Amino acid sequence: MWHAGGVSDEDRLSRAQARTIIGRVFKMAAPFRKTIYLSFACVIVSTATTLSAPIIVRHGIDAGIRAKNSGELNKSVVLYLIVVSFTYIFGRLLFVFVNRTGESFLRVLRLAVFRQMQRQSMAFYDRNKAGVLVARMTADIESMSELVQFGLLQFLSAGLMLTFAIVVLLVLSWQLTIIALIVMPILILASIKFQRDSNKAYLVVRERVGANLSALQEGITTVRVIQAYAQEQEAIRKFKISNRSLFAAHEKSVRVSTWYFALIEFSGVLASGLMIGIGGWFVHRGTVTLGTVVAFVLLLSSLFDPVQQLSQLYNTVQSAGAALNKLFSILDSKPEVDEHPAAIDLPETGELKVTGISFAYAASPAPALEEVSISVGVGEKLALVGPTGAGKSTLAKLMARLYDPQTGMVEFGGVNLKMATMGSLRNRIVVVPQEGFLFNGTIRDNLRIARADATDAEIESAIAAIGATEHFAQFADGLDTQVRERGSRLSAGERQLVALARAALVDPAVLILDEATSNLDPGTEAEVEHALERLMNGRTVIVVAHRLSTVQRADKIAVIAGAQIAELGTHTELLALNGHYAQLANAWALSHSTN
Amino acid sequence: MSVSETDSEVSARLELEQTQRSEGWKLLRGLLRDQRRNLLIGGIIGITWASFKVAIPQVTKFAINNGIEKDGPLLGWAVTIACLGVVTGVLSGLRRYVAFRESRWAETLLREKLFSHVLGLDIGYHDKAQTGQLMSRASSDLMQIQAFIVMIPITLSNVIQIFAVATILFITDPVLAIVAMLPLPFVNISARRFSNRIHPISVAVQAEQAQLANVVEESVSGVRVVKGFGAEQVQFDKLEKEANDIFGEAMKAAKIRSNFLPAIDVLPALGAVGVLGVGGHRVLSGQLSIGDLVAFNVYLTLLVWPLRNIGMIVALGQRAAAALVRIQEVLSTSSEINDPAVAKTLPSAANLQLGAIKFDHVQFGYDPALVVLKNFNLEIAAGESIAIVGATGSGKSTVARLLLRFYDTNSGHVFLDGIDIRKLRLAELRQQIGVVFEDTILFNDTVTNNISFAKPNADHADLERAAKLAGAHDFILQLPNGYDTVIGERGFSLSGGQRQRIAIARAIISDPRVLVLDDATSAVDPSKEGEIRDAMRTVMSGRTTIVIAHRPGTIALAERVVFIDESSIAAIGKHDELVATNDRYREVLASMEQSKSQQTPVSAK
Repeated sequence: MWHAGGVSDEDRLSRAQARTIIGRVFKMAAPFRKTIYLSFACVIVSTATTLSAPIIVRHGIDAGIRAKNSGELNKSVVLYLIVVSFTYIFGRLLFVFVNRTGESFLRVLRLAVFRQMQRQSMAFYDRNKAGVLVARMTADIESMSELVQFGLLQFLSAGLMLTFAIVVLLVLSWQLTIIALIVMPILILASIKFQRDSNKAYLVVRERVGANLSALQEGITTVRVIQAYAQEQEAIRKFKISNRSLFAAHEKSVRVSTWYFALIEFSGVLASGLMIGIGGWFVHRGTVTLGTVVAFVLLLSSLFDPVQQLSQLYNTVQSAGAALNKLFSILDSKPEVDEHPAAIDLPETGELKVTGISFAYAASPAPALEEVSISVGVGEKLALVGPTGAGKSTLAKLMARLYDPQTGMVEFGGVNLKMATMGSLRNRIVVVPQEGFLFNGTIRDNLRIARADATDAEIESAIAAIGATEHFAQFADGLDTQVRERGSRLSAGERQLVALARAALVDPAVLILDEATSNLDPGTEAEVEHALERLMNGRTVIVVAHRLSTVQRADKIAVIAGAQIAELGTHTELLALNGHYAQLANAWALSHSTN
Repeated sequence: MSVSETDSEVSARLELEQTQRSEGWKLLRGLLRDQRRNLLIGGIIGITWASFKVAIPQVTKFAINNGIEKDGPLLGWAVTIACLGVVTGVLSGLRRYVAFRESRWAETLLREKLFSHVLGLDIGYHDKAQTGQLMSRASSDLMQIQAFIVMIPITLSNVIQIFAVATILFITDPVLAIVAMLPLPFVNISARRFSNRIHPISVAVQAEQAQLANVVEESVSGVRVVKGFGAEQVQFDKLEKEANDIFGEAMKAAKIRSNFLPAIDVLPALGAVGVLGVGGHRVLSGQLSIGDLVAFNVYLTLLVWPLRNIGMIVALGQRAAAALVRIQEVLSTSSEINDPAVAKTLPSAANLQLGAIKFDHVQFGYDPALVVLKNFNLEIAAGESIAIVGATGSGKSTVARLLLRFYDTNSGHVFLDGIDIRKLRLAELRQQIGVVFEDTILFNDTVTNNISFAKPNADHADLERAAKLAGAHDFILQLPNGYDTVIGERGFSLSGGQRQRIAIARAIISDPRVLVLDDATSAVDPSKEGEIRDAMRTVMSGRTTIVIAHRPGTIALAERVVFIDESSIAAIGKHDELVATNDRYREVLASMEQSKSQQTPVSAK
């Protein structure tokens, strides 16, 4: 607990930011406001009962024991018992309510952030690395769970405890209160310094733990190379360096806490020493009673513990604030591609027409496409070829409205894609990415990605449509086979088959394919080719092509070079032009002949 | 546990678990023995601290009784208490320091021990072991052990503290002592139960969080599929389910906390009620002083933390024991491949061409029941280059692995320059074989360190010579920091061809007798295959080379072709001869050719 948070300087929030964040948190927590109020009520009751105990003890000593009045003493005992029961009951309720509030908040936050991430267009995903987005949804939100489980509770009760304790002490004796508070400044200053130092030390530890884990993982995953070159000793030597530097970081962070805990312990004892010395002197002079001094000695911990707790929470709160700040900035980002309020459904079929579109990615100033126009008729097959980065994939993505062009427009059956409902757009135009990306779940689940409401019969007929029924029937569990993470259970070719079946399930008018460049196992290669052919049959197809066989099958070929359509025509026509396309075809022939 | 387990199997398993557990504790004892001096110091500090800590309320009591009540001098008492504060403060800090430092040190050493051991285990072990599991041995399991060790000195002082306080209370007033301490054992029991109950739930929460992370990860990585099919809602539903699961588990944890923590807080207060009630009347009847009554209350608070801690350490100890067993399991695994007891050395005649290899009646299967190579006989002359060709899964890569002694043959022998490789020290054998693996594995390190990996003492001239031979020198100079550029997963990203050439440079820097090239072109953009082949041709000349061919183009590099089919050598000869005479060879070649032509890109990358 003593180095819970960990927040780097650049993540630290300004006061204004903190205020906005607190406001937004309360707004988000509005649906479970009732639980919050109940938590507050419980905190107040349980703090009050905790603090009233020493007062009751004082009464028992002064009015009961010292006054030799056993009736008063018994009254105090009964009252004490009641107060203790109250502390227990409200303590229990407190845990339930505060945890419920906190966890509900985290749940709402998870859903809201994810929903917003899902609404974003591709451009958002280009800008933000996958790892960072995952970290937002996991590490950043989880970093708040400690705050939710203990911190919030501690924060509330420590704050209240401190306030109440000071009030109670003042009521008992203002003179003794001043004595009790003498050590407070030392405690506060020490706590602040400790939090700062331990935060710094903790950040170093965290970084070195990461480095150490990487070193460990690298050692294990590269063991074949290490053994093949008989470099075990060298690898161990290197690992030791990282391991020892992690130890040094741990050691440093312990050292930081050593003097702090020493000081905390000392100031507690010092305060009671002062209480005895000065308080005793007051008793001698008759300013306060002995019972009051005893109550003060007992209450000192109620005064010091909250200060310590609050300061320890400081970093946890800071890092939660930093995490919230990042999460809210995701909630604030506007999706670039969104459904128009007056959107209409696309027609069943029609020509896909691109008129004068220009597009540049946010990351680079150079345009990816400039003033490009092309049209693809119903059932026509267009192949896009060209050097990497020339813009052929970009054109394909714009044709499916994964991005919006900066100028110009894309129309399907005469309707501007910007004016189309997202639902109809995704039903008419389907993009099949390069590699068959599968989600954890069964094959069937993976098809339902394309259409959540598809019946089992529809799924089976989609599989049949691409001629893969037999292939998947070979699996013991058929379509209910778990594909595992990223579909690792299936071969690359089988994953591609599932991806194609997905498209078949949607039964779109237009198919946009990004052809795979990587190897497929020879066994399923032919099956994938076959499935692709069946899928393309009768549909408008735009294919980002990497293979000559594909290009040759196309009705027309567009060569994209330098952000523009450099050449457009059939295979034979373009060869005759003796330009870009002829060059590409030559390169292919050359690489083939070296075999 | 299977239902069909017989009694003898059960007892065998229990016995194994028993030995593993005792081995685990032995491991811990061994570790701590090395640190016994510091741990002893920690223990002494802890005990001293506890005695001072216990003394303070006594002094407070005297101060109240003699100083305040009897109008005695106060300054002395106040100063004494403050001085005690200095001592306990310093001791408490030191106790903490020693405990944490020693536990971290034990953790550090154990991690090194684990790493060294795992690195020395044979490849057969690594084939089966999961990286994630080994990682969790070296991280979370070690953390459990560290958390336990850190509590040892603290527990020691806690025990002393409990005894001292109990003694003082009993001496002062045995009846009141019993009343005050009656609820306290429950603190200990509750703390232990709490720790045991909350642990599985925290594990479950983590598991649910991991599942949520998976959904996010695949939604982000597969965003093109999600967007392409408008599957946002499908993924959102999955996420909502996981978020609800986390909520459910978290609320279970909250329930457990609410069952235990307030109770643990309130139990000592019950003792305090008893002290006021019973003790108050005893003061009234003159059996006890007020100072004693106050001291009783203070002592009660001194007992709470030690009792909680001891409850916790029992639970921590149980977890640490389980972690120790898992670690011991790894440490007790011995490598199947070892240096011979009496090693021979390789001949090193300068006038002789070295690097002759002989496979003599070799039989091998990764699983002995499934033979991969049988009656495998092959002689490769020093300086000769051969290509091994076969269908996928025919065992062609296995040949190289046997030569490296990644595995030992089930029967038969492998000779390098006339010496059975099992008679050689592993380091000597492996230093004489340069390997380029099919999936080039590079380290997150500089180009220099990656190439000189095989020869850590190489100078810059060696480095450049190897890089030049491998055709890597020119592009290395183009990198942002030349030879000092950090490459690998987290560094500058190289193309497949560039990675291959660095791997080739690494393989030849120590000028090995034998070179094994597990088709270095298969992971390369086809248009770059030619360059890699040029590099391969250069480094092969004059050196015994085994090329494991996955692509037809690579076969041409070798002088002879060894065609493996159905676990043994189906034919040996020149490529052209085999093409002319062997149907099956043509078939295998065609399947390579086919998967190849379909991959040829028309786009110049």
